[in-house]
Amino acid sequence: MNDVMQILALIEISITCSLVLIWGIQKISQQPFPLLAKMALLLVLTNLFFWPLGISLELPLAAYVRGATGDLSIVTTLLLWSTLLSNNKSAPFALKLSIAIIALTFYPFALGLGMIDPYVWGYGSITFLIAVLVFAVICGLSNWSKGVWIIGLAIIAWTVHWHESANLWDYLLDPFLAIWAIFGIFSVVLRRRREKARSGYLFRPG
Amino acid sequence: MSRVIALCFLLLAAVLGYIHIDSRPAWAPFLIQELISPEADDADKLQPENKLSTKLKPPPQAAILNPQLNWLPDTGAVSVHAASLITLKDGSIRAFWFAGSREGAADVVINTAVLDPKTKSWAAPAVVIDRVGAEKGLARYIAKLGNPVPARLADGRLQLFFVTVSIGGWAGSSISTMISDDEGSTWSRPQRLITSPLINLSTLVKSPTVQFTDGRLGLPAYHEWVGRFGEFLRLDGTQVIDKRRMSSGRSAIQPVMFVNAAQDATAYFRQTRRAGHPKQIPVSHTQNAGQSWQAAIDLEIANPNAALAGLTLQNGAHIVVLNNIEVGRHRLVLMISNPKSGQWQVVEVLENDEALPDGQRKEFSYPYLISANGNDAHLVYTWDRKKIRHWYFSSAWLSQAYSQLPTQISNESSAEIKGAQ
Repeated sequence: MNDVMQILALIEISITCSLVLIWGIQKISQQPFPLLAKMALLLVLTNLFFWPLGISLELPLAAYVRGATGDLSIVTTLLLWSTLLSNNKSAPFALKLSIAIIALTFYPFALGLGMIDPYVWGYGSITFLIAVLVFAVICGLSNWSKGVWIIGLAIIAWTVHWHESANLWDYLLDPFLAIWAIFGIFSVVLRRRREKARSGYLFRPG
Repeated sequence: MSRVIALCFLLLAAVLGYIHIDSRPAWAPFLIQELISPEADDADKLQPENKLSTKLKPPPQAAILNPQLNWLPDTGAVSVHAASLITLKDGSIRAFWFAGSREGAADVVINTAVLDPKTKSWAAPAVVIDRVGAEKGLARYIAKLGNPVPARLADGRLQLFFVTVSIGGWAGSSISTMISDDEGSTWSRPQRLITSPLINLSTLVKSPTVQFTDGRLGLPAYHEWVGRFGEFLRLDGTQVIDKRRMSSGRSAIQPVMFVNAAQDATAYFRQTRRAGHPKQIPVSHTQNAGQSWQAAIDLEIANPNAALAGLTLQNGAHIVVLNNIEVGRHRLVLMISNPKSGQWQVVEVLENDEALPDGQRKEFSYPYLISANGNDAHLVYTWDRKKIRHWYFSSAWLSQAYSQLPTQISNESSAEIKGAQ
């Protein structure tokens, strides 16, 4: 069972690394690839990350990445995969804001500030589970069904012990998701300020 | 329509989540150890009527053996550290320690050796796991290994916890674990314990586990990155199923637990306080089997930011081994406390380089204590980072030392202890 879990985790990391690489290549070449080309590239790169390459490397490339990042949360993984594969519109601003607020509140306490440790709630607090479900329902009511699916899958992954962790937080949130949300907020704020400045220039009385 | 399907899927996830939480085991009380005496040393066995007496009768003079000293076998490694011990089913003692060219080097391996109780000699050492073995087992890059801590599972198997680091120094540590079906000769593939939400960074082990009445283990662990604090992990085999903070802030690591009763335990810590703060042992206390911890008044014994080891004997006496000085690790002592008065007394100075100039003083650190029969004590510690020293204190010697404790420590003798520090 442990062996299967380790293999699945390496496949997950390999796919994620490949998708990030494809996204990077697209950004550099400044043109989106067709889905078929993207899938072919994904297959090649995932194999490259997953299998041991030999040379002087003791492990597959994905294992080195996993050594540094650990297992990404299910929410990060699915959000990343769905966004990079389908070129969907970016996640709602309210979601990024919520994740940023939760992360900025959660991490200081979880890392040792005071005796209250919110990370403990993830082991089996029914109140915490309800809070997560309410968050997912709000996503649904805000017309963002993808969020409902992703959170639902994260909860199910936790119940079947998909990753090494037995803590629901590890399936919902990780530092990379928090960084993405914070950067997302900054980029939206900057863009809005830029747009405002530009519109101010156009309509400035002459 | 897609929203309705998504919400139905969420309902399914909610039901599964509820079932998962509902099936979690309730928090059990601590198991009060009733240790079985091994066949090893008949002379060390106490009579049953003595076991619960608060004050043991002094044994006959002839039976009192002086503490026995020897060294863990040399592996040829330049640097050794962090030894630990466990009693095997046949009464012998198995030691674990890490060894390599230096602490934190890539060539560090975790070694093991067994002490034969009859010949009182250590067998040839063997490698439990090296860095590459850990990498392959854990399916991720590992830069270095450290701190092995063995435990006995309720089903009789041995479990070994050890520290691995992928990036950075010890602050980037995680705990991994393996299980042995053959008393430590061979080990299963290692598995990772997930204990922290930030890339699982910065959880380490140093001290022995405690057992719950449901057979599960409690592992005192600690963080030493953003915060420096103790954490009590509740384990189900190779999985962390709960954890509780034992202290907070940046001042207390490497908790050592003393289980006093089914719900009651005390933890002593290595202090990591800033200059200007008391250099003595921080203490936490639980009265609900580790579900919540409260900081208590410091134990007024000096601590130079160094690990300590502790043990509860069957007569209720607590013993600790520690560096009772505020700076350096050049003095190591064994102390015993009277459970009634709670006063600590130095009963043996194990190492003392105080007379030497600063540059020539050796380091005596990372003590680890176990009892083979509940009344004796085996101690190992790092000797100048070059060797691991092993001491054996027989139950007769310990009970004599205990019987000689003053019932009420006078101000003069308290001052004497402080003077010795």
